[in-house]
Amino acid sequence: MPVQQSIRFILDDQVVELDFQQSGQYTPVTTVLNYLRSLPGHKGVKEGCGQGDCGACTVVLAEPDGRGGLSYKAVNSCLIFLPMIHGKQLITVENINEEDKDHHPVLHPVQLALVQHDGTQCGYCTPGMVASMFALYKNHRNPAKEVVEDALSGNLCRCTGYRSIVDAALDACKVKDNDHFSRNKEQVIEKLDALYRNTETIVIQTGNHTYLKPFTMTEALKLRRENPDALMITGATDVALLKTKKHLHLPKILDLSGLDELKLILEDHHRIVIGAGTTMEEIREYCISRLPALAGILHVFGSLQIRNMATMGGNLMSASPIGDTLPLLIALHAKVRLLGNNKQRDLPVEDFITGYRQTDIHADELPALILIPKPKKNVIIRSYKLSKRTDLDISTVSACFRMVLTKENKVREIDIVYGGMADRPKRAAAAELVLKDELWSRALVERAANQLEKAFQPLSDARAAADTRMIMARNLLLKFWLETGRDDLNEKKETD
Amino acid sequence: MKNGHDISHHDSALLHVTGRSVYINDMQVSEQLLYGRVFYSTQAHARIKSFNLEKAKKLNGVAAVLSAKDIPGENQVGPVIRDEVCLADGKVECYGQAVFLVAAVDDETAYQACRLIEIEYEPLPAVTDIETAMGKRALLLPERKIETGDVDRAFTVAGNTVEGVLKTGAQEHWYLETQTSLCIPGEGNEMKVFASTQHPSETQAVVAEVLGVRRHEVTVEMKRMGGAFGGKETQGNHIAAWAALLARATGCPVKIHLFRDDDQIITGKRHPFLSKYKAAYTSEGKITALDVELNADGGCANDLSMPIMERAMFHTDNAYYIPNLRVVGKILKTNHPSNTAFRGFGGPQGMAVIETVIDRIARQLKKDAAEIRKLNFYGAKSDNVTHYGQVVENNRLELLFNKLLERSDYRKLKRETEAFNRENEFLKKGLALTPVKFGISFTTSFLNQAGALVNIYQDGTVLISHGGTEMGQGLHTKMVEVASSLLGISKEFIRISATDTSKVPNTSATAASSGSDLNGMAVADAIGKIIRRLSEFLSEKYADKIHGSKKPFVFKDDFVTHPDLSGFKLAFPELIREAYLNQISLSATGFYKTPDIYFDREKGKGKPFHYYAFGMSVSQVLIDTLTGSHKILKTFILHDVGNSINPRIDKGQVEGGFIQGVGWCTTEEIKWDDDGRLLTFSPDTYKIPGVKDIPEEFHVELLENVPNPGTIKNSKAVGEPPFMHAFSVWLAIKDAVSAVGEHRFEPDFQIPATNEMILQSVEKIRKLQKGKRNL
Ligand SMILES: Cc1cc2nc3c(=O)[nH]c(=O)nc-3n(C[C@H](O)[C@H](O)[C@H](O)COP(=O)(O)OP(=O)(O)OC[C@H]3O[C@@H](n4cnc5c(N)ncnc54)[C@H](O)[C@@H]3O)c2cc1C
Ligand code: FES
Ligand code: FES
Repeated sequence: MPVQQSIRFILDDQVVELDFQQSGQYTPVTTVLNYLRSLPGHKGVKEGCGQGDCGACTVVLAEPDGRGGLSYKAVNSCLIFLPMIHGKQLITVENINEEDKDHHPVLHPVQLALVQHDGTQCGYCTPGMVASMFALYKNHRNPAKEVVEDALSGNLCRCTGYRSIVDAALDACKVKDNDHFSRNKEQVIEKLDALYRNTETIVIQTGNHTYLKPFTMTEALKLRRENPDALMITGATDVALLKTKKHLHLPKILDLSGLDELKLILEDHHRIVIGAGTTMEEIREYCISRLPALAGILHVFGSLQIRNMATMGGNLMSASPIGDTLPLLIALHAKVRLLGNNKQRDLPVEDFITGYRQTDIHADELPALILIPKPKKNVIIRSYKLSKRTDLDISTVSACFRMVLTKENKVREIDIVYGGMADRPKRAAAAELVLKDELWSRALVERAANQLEKAFQPLSDARAAADTRMIMARNLLLKFWLETGRDDLNEKKETD
Repeated sequence: MKNGHDISHHDSALLHVTGRSVYINDMQVSEQLLYGRVFYSTQAHARIKSFNLEKAKKLNGVAAVLSAKDIPGENQVGPVIRDEVCLADGKVECYGQAVFLVAAVDDETAYQACRLIEIEYEPLPAVTDIETAMGKRALLLPERKIETGDVDRAFTVAGNTVEGVLKTGAQEHWYLETQTSLCIPGEGNEMKVFASTQHPSETQAVVAEVLGVRRHEVTVEMKRMGGAFGGKETQGNHIAAWAALLARATGCPVKIHLFRDDDQIITGKRHPFLSKYKAAYTSEGKITALDVELNADGGCANDLSMPIMERAMFHTDNAYYIPNLRVVGKILKTNHPSNTAFRGFGGPQGMAVIETVIDRIARQLKKDAAEIRKLNFYGAKSDNVTHYGQVVENNRLELLFNKLLERSDYRKLKRETEAFNRENEFLKKGLALTPVKFGISFTTSFLNQAGALVNIYQDGTVLISHGGTEMGQGLHTKMVEVASSLLGISKEFIRISATDTSKVPNTSATAASSGSDLNGMAVADAIGKIIRRLSEFLSEKYADKIHGSKKPFVFKDDFVTHPDLSGFKLAFPELIREAYLNQISLSATGFYKTPDIYFDREKGKGKPFHYYAFGMSVSQVLIDTLTGSHKILKTFILHDVGNSINPRIDKGQVEGGFIQGVGWCTTEEIKWDDDGRLLTFSPDTYKIPGVKDIPEEFHVELLENVPNPGTIKNSKAVGEPPFMHAFSVWLAIKDAVSAVGEHRFEPDFQIPATNEMILQSVEKIRKLQKGKRNL
């Protein structure tokens, strides 16, 4: 089987080929940020944290959108390994303006607006801001303020207080998109298509690194079987931290981000099917009308940059007690479809997660699909996430509730699953039992809440003390009742 | 674009948005560049029993591994008081203290070398919280006191009193550019230092001292910082000293750029305070006496704790006249990294106390806190002397109050808030109005000096050096503005050079909001000299034509003219060329010291401030009492910057300072564990405000037509004062929590009001309420 030993991507209008064996300077786990900063012309891209939390390193990745155009996505270059940008166009702050014939910069509308609105002070966040605003500009005309805020929620600025930046973004996105990227679109698509057509597995072997990137499921399963010790990645938003924060040596990586077969969302009468390689942002957009509870939780999942890379498969496989999609997957009785060599298993997510960051995956299996039973009309679903800061923060406590009420307002079906309360996302079975078949009332909810203290012994940590977590868990149940109960209270719905 | 009448954007804005601004970490350096790393203590307090650096030294690619005994000069970086070692020697006093330094060919090798260092500690008892330090009376310095009136007597006759304890938390600076320094050894003892520092002269002194060389052998250059906020006033020196030691030891250029988590762990923060207060007041709500004890967690060394405490003590009155006031300040020694300057410099900690007192008085009297505030404001003609004896001049409090009530439609907001709270059990709104009066000057009087160097070249272009540093605040932009209007030439002919100790020596830190005040005057002084020389030259040259006219030559619109010389119009570059040919010096230094300020620390009296900056704000918030989350619905800020030199930049300072204050008051929580280890050591758990945390409706207005006498272009400093507008958000949240118990119970409330704190506070009130109902 022929393989590719180098990676190719577009930077500064040219196809760059990186052969790791030759270069010596870079390894396959060199981050895109460190690569860019090693070049003379891309030091504008900044490291503010090296862990996805500030956005100073934001760059934009463009790739064919399958509809004859290009999609532009803002991502954190500090969390991306070089081979992950194979087949894409890499756009940094330095690429966004044009130059006149004297090499003076001619500002892009987003840059011009930032200057005019005084959206930059010390300037250190600015290259990342420009990148995020550029992606926003490519994707939205006249966006609402909320859309702008979403697009910038992954970019921290310590100087300006943001008002000026938001105004700049609103202003910039008013003008018609006629920038040089639009004008050069065809050439870029042509170049990328050429790279795209080659589906030979990328195999990079350097001194002490092996990096495998297959493009078909068959190949992926074969590589998985042959390399059970390889660390799998898709978005690498979790795994990259092992390198940037923990400085771990990652000798062997199986990169599954090239598998188009795992990037899908579809539905039939009974279920919504999500491919393991689908990004959180794609899922969020799809679910806004079809599964609002999931869209809601993804709305506060990391930042747009994180959601553009992070995948459902990665979230599931992290099996973290604060993995934000997991309470919902469990409460909705979702299953994961695992593909092995010549076998297939469908396992309830609840059983699949076996402990703190542990799953029941077999050494030759890959998670392929997440199967979520489609809620019937009468099913009530709510999910909540509590964190210190609303955006770009990890849950202190999260919860998902699923309920069916009878005509008499009695609880017929109930699922209560919490995140952040135990070593894994966990069902509050005792509380469910109290609620079952009873009248859905505030008094009943209080009784059920009392069961939580017996079921959970949460931790105290940097995010909150154990007793606070308990208050949160109780309150969320009450909040669920408030939003769904039919009697006495008419709370104005001013917050989410 | 002529003559400075247009308002310009930040002078680096075009570079910033195109990614072409150069920060130290972006500089192109020779191939020999080595990467430095700091090995720091993982014990809060311990004796170093033994260590072994051999394995680390042997690692391929490692150029040097240094310990305290490799320091050629003094092992000392204490800026004011010499109590802070550069590298731990024999013992460590905090988690995060630098112990060893490593230089290697790349950062990863340096990291791996750190892992190979072996060290054995013998733990010693550690003080890791302020209460324990208070119990042990572990003071870093003798306590300080400022007192006026007869506080004890006032309490004996007092009608009502309020008493309590307020805790305010630490705050991490979170400048986007972490601490960075690049040192390049030259010939002999020369060392060229590029450091992200607010205080190049002190960096120069510290580097010279640790290297054991003289100051004229060390040059510090600073072009721009990616934010500083006080965090690089002294602590930037440490990084520079470390890089310099490694550069000296290896003979190669060495760069240290701290990884974010290391920066958070190693460097000091805003001082946490535990403040005890007691106040007496009349049934109308007029405060008659205030007795405050401020306790600051100084960390393991002094750093700037003393002047920070002093500023906190100067601001325990905030905007209020309190006839009998006693404030005692104690700086406690703990096993935390030495706490340091942070925007506001103790002011916020001091002001939080009096704002809490007023808030409580209003609750007890069942009155609107805004009215109680107004009742206690400093008067314009009387009741205008502070507890340290300075007269509050040009008081703008009443003007601000009246305008702000109108702008925010305060009374309507109040009614709306109350109505909402009657209708909702779990969602609550809160409202607060808070004032700011902030003293401008370094309280250590001799620091109020600045220098500048102005060079004009033969093509008529101007290069200005001054002692101030650019950290995003727009200082350079303002200096260009000043120079442009004085020289009467377009801004495009004027550049500000990097701050450089070899051009302007012995400067003070760019701090205390005073950068423009001091350096603007120094620049004006230098330009004045050159203009005098040019005018003399012209007067002589055209003596026969102006016939001894005393009218000055006019420098305007890139030309020089004279009212009595019709037809005379000389382009500025031509004038300069002529002056050069006639051997006129086109370079001048400037100097400025703030007049009339002094403070007697023994007596606690004086005039420490050149003037005061004022401002006021109203915020309305919404909280969800089930989740503890909050949302700032509306903020109205009215702020006094005198005659603004650049309203665009000043507005940016007000907005940015306010949001930073909001962070301190809400989501930014520094937690240490019992072993003195920082728990919130990364952005993963330490949360500064993001784009969605700003007010939904955000109005900022600069007061107009309020010239400030005796300052550059009649302007006022703007860096720090807006930080404290955040109290309106903090107290609005408290008001919302208080609404849970219909304002009958005093909420447990501190800084920061995190979602956790809000939930706990609400929970307590609900219990109290239940208790009452069950009675
Ligand atoms: C700044 C930041 C913010 C974040 N915010 C959130 C948040 O709000 N909520 C939240 O839940 N998480 C958050 N995360 C964590 C992370 O983004 C998510 O868990 C994400 O879903 C991981 O997906 P990924 O594709 O990036 O996984 P990766 O990092 O690629 O992998 C994660 C884990 O899954 C395994 N894995 C990945 N792909 C596969 C595959 N195809 N087959 C088998 N195993 C695989 C990996 O081996 C690894 O154990 C955040 C992370 C960062 C850095
Ligand atoms: S450097 Fe902060 S997100 Fe990448
Ligand atoms: S401008 Fe300084 S961090 Fe944004």
